[in-house]
Amino acid sequence: MICDELREAYELHALGLLEDPERAEIEAHLRRGCETCTAGVRRAAALNTQMLALAPDVRPSPKLRRKVLASVGARESRWAWMTGWPAAFAAMLIAVVYLGVQDRRKAGELAEARRFVEASATELTQMRAALALLNEPETRHVVFGQGQPQPPKGRVFVHGRRGVLLLASNLPPLPRGKTYELWTIPKGGAPRPAGLFQSDARGNALYLSPGPVDVTTLSAIAVSVEPEAGSSAPTTTPLIVAALTD
Amino acid sequence: MLLAFLFALLSEGDRELAARLQRRDPQAMADLYDRYGRLAYSLIFRIVKDAAVAEDLVQESFLRVWNRVQGFDPERGALGPWVLAVARNRAIDYLRSVDGRMAQSAVELEANEHPSMFTDLEREVLNRDRARHLQHAFERLNPHQRLVIELAYYEGLSQREMAERIKQPLGTVKTWVRSALQVLREELRAAAV
Repeated sequence: MICDELREAYELHALGLLEDPERAEIEAHLRRGCETCTAGVRRAAALNTQMLALAPDVRPSPKLRRKVLASVGARESRWAWMTGWPAAFAAMLIAVVYLGVQDRRKAGELAEARRFVEASATELTQMRAALALLNEPETRHVVFGQGQPQPPKGRVFVHGRRGVLLLASNLPPLPRGKTYELWTIPKGGAPRPAGLFQSDARGNALYLSPGPVDVTTLSAIAVSVEPEAGSSAPTTTPLIVAALTD
Repeated sequence: MLLAFLFALLSEGDRELAARLQRRDPQAMADLYDRYGRLAYSLIFRIVKDAAVAEDLVQESFLRVWNRVQGFDPERGALGPWVLAVARNRAIDYLRSVDGRMAQSAVELEANEHPSMFTDLEREVLNRDRARHLQHAFERLNPHQRLVIELAYYEGLSQREMAERIKQPLGTVKTWVRSALQVLREELRAAAV
């Protein structure tokens, strides 16, 4: 297929809406390093972004900011309502004065305490979400690794709206630059990435992949070792495969 | 020193913000939300039309960006377009899950939100003047063209799925999509000059 024929498909490709055989053709063409089409797909991504940004402006609830920040252990500033440069300038002045009157040791202790609190808040948020999923009557669960000579072992819980919760033990130590990646595998379909996680020093992991999952078509949950940035498809043999039976 | 701090603060762009996200600086998440949260919420609300669901999906989108930002290239990547793509995909996935399309859909959204898809985009991709031009171009599309564009961008339908939804031949739908995108592309090109 030549570039002129593919140019019509750039936007749909960038939106993830092309179906085979067009999808396979354009992907093969891009893999061959066609500069014209690579540039075309970038322009298409820009057009798509601008189209998506045309959605009518709607103001979210102020609570949403707190929820988003809590999900990663960040705290909301009391002065979040102050926006724009006056706020930034005032914040800088306060920061300079504050730093001027604190000795370094106290500042270091404060930073350490803040990191501890932030990490605890993240864990607490995740534990709450995990408990909420476990409390749902529709949550399904499956045990994996039982009776197997090799680790790991554990359980997977799945809820259509709340997501997938993995509890695993005996996970092997990860090589440097690697991470664990969770996959949801639909019946007859390719594995879909469902998030990255690490185990603790003892090889235990609790990981919640939040969000809707189609339990009616889900056939298995898997975990594989992947590069730190994650992969769009498994690159190693999964070390956990938990099959969901009807 | 204060001026230097102030200058650094004022001049922080997506590159610096992405680097701070990669260093797992929780405050960077606050800055990311302040920069793109309302846009992401507006987009998701446009798609799912339910405030409570939209809030859950915004939260999920930002958590996803936080978890995957290590794969983002701060030097070449465009943070805003990536956040919007992640937000759109979460909303489309939600639509598919509630109307049972997840099982039948032949298209996979995951690949199109990989951070590498958002490298080397032109600067100021979220420029307001261009958005205004594009809005005018969108309004000038005929009803058929507008319909298929909305089904693609806001409902995540492939051309085959559109043809089934609106009960039109696939060839007709492809013609509408092709001509609509051509108008939008040309408008954007003219706005960039």
